[in-house]
Amino acid sequence: MLLPWEYGVRNLARRPLRTLLTLIALATVVMLVFVVVGFIRGLERSLSTSGDDDVVLVYSVNSEENIENSAIAAQIPALLTASVGGTVSRFGMTHVSPELYMGTRVKNELDEAGLGLVRGVTLATPLVRRSVRLVEGSWPRAGEVIVGRLAAAKLGSSEDAIALGKTLEFEGKQWTVSGRFASGGSAYESEIWCRLEDFQAATKRQDLSLVAMLLSPEGSAGEVSLFCKERTDLEIRAIRETDYYASLQQHYRPVRLLAWSVVVMVSAAGIFAGLNMMYGAVAGRVREIATLQAVGFRRRAIVLSLVQEGVLLAASGSLLSGVLALTALNGMAVRFTMGAFALRIDSVAILIGCGVGVLLGVVGALPPALKALRSEVATSLKSV
Amino acid sequence: MALVELRGVSKSFQKGDETITPLDDVDLSIEQGEFVSLMGPSGTGKSTLLNLVSGIDRVDSGTIFVDGTEITELSRSKLADWRAANLGYIFQTHNLIPVLTAYENVELPTLLLKLSSTERRQRVELALEAVGLSDRAEHYPRQLSGGQEQRVGIARAIVSHPKVVVADEPTGSLDTETSEQIQVLLQRLNKELNITMLMVTHDAEAAEIASRRLLLQNGKFVEREKTVLVPEDQTPASGSVATQ
Repeated sequence: MLLPWEYGVRNLARRPLRTLLTLIALATVVMLVFVVVGFIRGLERSLSTSGDDDVVLVYSVNSEENIENSAIAAQIPALLTASVGGTVSRFGMTHVSPELYMGTRVKNELDEAGLGLVRGVTLATPLVRRSVRLVEGSWPRAGEVIVGRLAAAKLGSSEDAIALGKTLEFEGKQWTVSGRFASGGSAYESEIWCRLEDFQAATKRQDLSLVAMLLSPEGSAGEVSLFCKERTDLEIRAIRETDYYASLQQHYRPVRLLAWSVVVMVSAAGIFAGLNMMYGAVAGRVREIATLQAVGFRRRAIVLSLVQEGVLLAASGSLLSGVLALTALNGMAVRFTMGAFALRIDSVAILIGCGVGVLLGVVGALPPALKALRSEVATSLKSV
Repeated sequence: MALVELRGVSKSFQKGDETITPLDDVDLSIEQGEFVSLMGPSGTGKSTLLNLVSGIDRVDSGTIFVDGTEITELSRSKLADWRAANLGYIFQTHNLIPVLTAYENVELPTLLLKLSSTERRQRVELALEAVGLSDRAEHYPRQLSGGQEQRVGIARAIVSHPKVVVADEPTGSLDTETSEQIQVLLQRLNKELNITMLMVTHDAEAAEIASRRLLLQNGKFVEREKTVLVPEDQTPASGSVATQ
């Protein structure tokens, strides 16, 4: 038989200050867990949603995995269209997107400069990058750009600084913001897009970084890859876009491992907070615990009651942090090397955060509870 | 067989390098409905005996039977269950749970019994009524006087209708007037409810309320005769006592 639920609840109010401080400590720990898990989930989401299984990327073999370093001849899109079948084509427009992509210093009207990611695109680009949606304004004309939802975070500027009608300066040229786009949390959202020919002119480049091709169900990435391997003179390679971002996921594996290590370390710190509180709570109740045993409550019931106290406190901390994380953290933009992504407090993050919270309560309460029960009942009954 | 029966019970403690044996091969029988008081100098093993009878301490050798159950053979969990159903414990320092009301404190032991909520409520109300604290049911221990706390402790000890109630210096922390009230209460419960009681006390006056008085000396029990206060006008020296 368990002890009454009220016993655990009211015990928390016995030392209000200590309970409050522990609650804050536990809530902080769980909040940190939410931040780190939200970071990992956001990064994973950004990389996983960036790839489209039907899209093949063609870029330079010499650039390794970094498309920014890629430079391929301007005639390659035409060569690919002519030589490889299976590309989607509608209303006379082949869904092949030649793109010039590079990181460059971008300055806003307030003279604030940051490293931006700029992509020179054509009208075929949104046909190939199917997740991209123009959410505000219009497609860029000459001297205009559209900015992704997280471009401001990537630049380290305010949203107002890159609002519609504002002017940006990069590659020695002024560009007016004509629109904003979103792409379901993918990496493009941290980019600035402008017309390919404008960007080529500004950067004094005639080449491209890559070609993205949308394959029809009859098309085959293997066929494109075979073409690239046969035409060694072109020095290009082909990779399915999902595989490209999967390889980037591998690239960020150490970052994710480090982040998970932080989760473990932060949780361990939280366990000490819980232990400290529960040792304090139990130390002052040795006689009371012995009395419960003398009355007839089994040791298991008393341990469960003490664990219930710890879990109740930790769950309250988790709930508090969960609400804060969902309202304040979720969607918060984070800058990183290949762009920006939004912290993602999704069901998995909530589950992990709250799970860690409950674990803190259990692990923090068990050792003090077991210690209290190790004492002789007869001796404990007379303790002060 | 008596309700409580100790046969050849011994118990030793290690204190530093020294071994202390407060109980050495003792025998004791307590009949149903008896009120036994146990006195003796400090360290003679009175509380140890109480703890052995209540199953919160273990004998080194010997056996203890309570209502036919050999409690010295029971496991720790079984002993807990046995205490819940058969034993009431009155503590010197009341030992009420501070976060629970008087009603909830009395209710605690009944949670361990298979009772309906109505039956449980009735038992708690009757126990509180028996100790005269029905109007303090919703008070927390900090809102009660020492005597009232001890009454709640007594109600908690009798609420599960135990076979035996053990009391470890129940008046030890109370003033004289309150102590007398508690003694009267214990005596009344013993007589009216026929509760078997074993009480350890240092207070000779408190020991007198028992129907049988024992003195623990050198690890053995000595029966004490009841002492009565002789009226002053019948004796040359005032306040003297005589034996019955």
